[in-house]
Amino acid sequence: MSKLNILQYPDSRLRTVAQPVKVVDDRIRALADDMLETMYDAPGIGLAATQVDVHERVVVIDVSDERNEPRVLINPEILKAEGTERSQEGCLSVPGYQDTVERAEWLHVRALDRHGASFEFEAHGLLAICVQHEVDHLNGKLFLDHLSELKRKRAHRKLTKQSRLTA
Amino acid sequence: MARGRRQVQAISARLAAAEALARVATGRSLTAALPAVLGQVAPGERALAQELAYGALRWYPRLCWVLDQLLERPLRRRDRDVHAVLIVGLYQCLDTRIPEHAAVSETVAAARALGRRRASGLVNAVLRRCLRERTSLQAGWQALPSARYAHPDWLLARFREAWPANWEALIEANNARPPMTLRVNRRQRAREAYLGELQCIGVGANAHPLAPDAIVLDEPVGVERLPGFAGGAVSVQDAAAQQAAVLLAPEPGERVLDLCAAPGGKSSHVLECQPALAELVAVDLESVRLERLHENLRRLGLSARVIQGDAAEPGHWWDGVAYDRILLDAPCSASGVIRRHPDIKLLRQAADLDGLQALQKRLLAAAWPLLAPGGMLLYVTCSVLPMENEQVVRPFAAEREDVVVRMIDAAWGQATDHGRQILSGESGMDGFYYACLVKQ
Repeated sequence: MSKLNILQYPDSRLRTVAQPVKVVDDRIRALADDMLETMYDAPGIGLAATQVDVHERVVVIDVSDERNEPRVLINPEILKAEGTERSQEGCLSVPGYQDTVERAEWLHVRALDRHGASFEFEAHGLLAICVQHEVDHLNGKLFLDHLSELKRKRAHRKLTKQSRLTA
Repeated sequence: MARGRRQVQAISARLAAAEALARVATGRSLTAALPAVLGQVAPGERALAQELAYGALRWYPRLCWVLDQLLERPLRRRDRDVHAVLIVGLYQCLDTRIPEHAAVSETVAAARALGRRRASGLVNAVLRRCLRERTSLQAGWQALPSARYAHPDWLLARFREAWPANWEALIEANNARPPMTLRVNRRQRAREAYLGELQCIGVGANAHPLAPDAIVLDEPVGVERLPGFAGGAVSVQDAAAQQAAVLLAPEPGERVLDLCAAPGGKSSHVLECQPALAELVAVDLESVRLERLHENLRRLGLSARVIQGDAAEPGHWWDGVAYDRILLDAPCSASGVIRRHPDIKLLRQAADLDGLQALQKRLLAAAWPLLAPGGMLLYVTCSVLPMENEQVVRPFAAEREDVVVRMIDAAWGQATDHGRQILSGESGMDGFYYACLVKQ
């Protein structure tokens, strides 16, 4: 396993729409393992392949407090979404910036597991938020896109200044 | 995704209970609302949050009356969240052993966390006045049935009419905490052996006298503490619901159909009792609920043919081969399980009953042609209202010549004209109705 490099905003590669995984093979399993290692190291509670510059639909998540419930979602699909919930989000590709985002509070999700078997589950709370956040990444979307124009511009100014300073 | 700052901060048990209550007040079920809210509570406080949410709903009609007496002017509609915090506070003051100062100060803190101006002052004033005036409030609610019995008036009227001799016991059971009852998987363990296993880990339990596989725990425990739960040794199921498999009693080689099957408690019990069925077909409309049925079957090591379909429209999924036994667990008001789902007191309306009865009649009529001659259909509800039970079965049996009502001979419940009724709380069981209909 190896740690991967996480793309940072405003890197335009974060805007790529990822392709569905055709075959869940050893290559995809190795990618998922590397992504989990990268996520735990960051530390984060979710990571999409887009963020490590692989444009295939793979997501890893662990929202547990004990960090012992890793989930691998391949080709995740949100079949049903209900309710709304506002909570504060951050992103490993947008370090140092957090804001409140409105999401659905309950989801019905379908995905493939690491063996390529299809499974479905219901998600609520932090897991539901995280699934939506990561599926957004696969579609080239960031949580910043959910903010008002004013807030988004202000975040952009702050973040680009930051990246110029660290460059 | 990185964790947001505010996600790290857990919300308090009081605030979580109030949040769940506010969601129920807007029409969601507690089972749907609670998990999302509990997820935001620190693990050590979750049990308290759950107890407060259930308790506040159990006494909701009374607590609302008390609150009306204590408020100088009614709250505005948009103050629903403040209303919910107040109800949770009143529940602690009137019905729990939480020390008064803790009940008040923690609930005031929850009101402050709402971030609403003046809410914390209002909560403080109302709760302190409630504690001061407790005696006169108690005298006040004794005089008003909906507050005294903590049930909506329409439901009280129905219970009184249906069960003139037993309605008070029924209501008392609805307001009591239900026992946690297990069903031992008889393919894996004998009931006596499992009682021994529970004793070893210090969980007090007794065999239920009227259900052969049932064990009643002295105190509820998390399923993860139950020996062998993940491997399918036991399931959580009330003793009243366990009568379904006993009454259905299919013979080896028979085909069984379970309509409205999810989450699969009764289906899996039937399979545990009769391993030599030709086939068990479980039908339910909702794919999400069917996922739970699959999970249950997997855990118990059982298999069934699961179909997503509408029980009222068998034409879409039936293969044309008749069944020897049919279990129809019809959707109902759930008036027999109010003690397990106190949110029914808020969510159910008198106007729902006509629609439910029409659905029950439609389902029964749709299921009947699927039954082989000589076969038996078991009609089940978790309701104690005759409108959903006798009044569904009676006209059906009267209209059709090929229906023979087989009287149920059992040590539980009381005989009705066409079936048998367990009233909520009787022998520690949920309120259930059963009728056995045999096809000539």
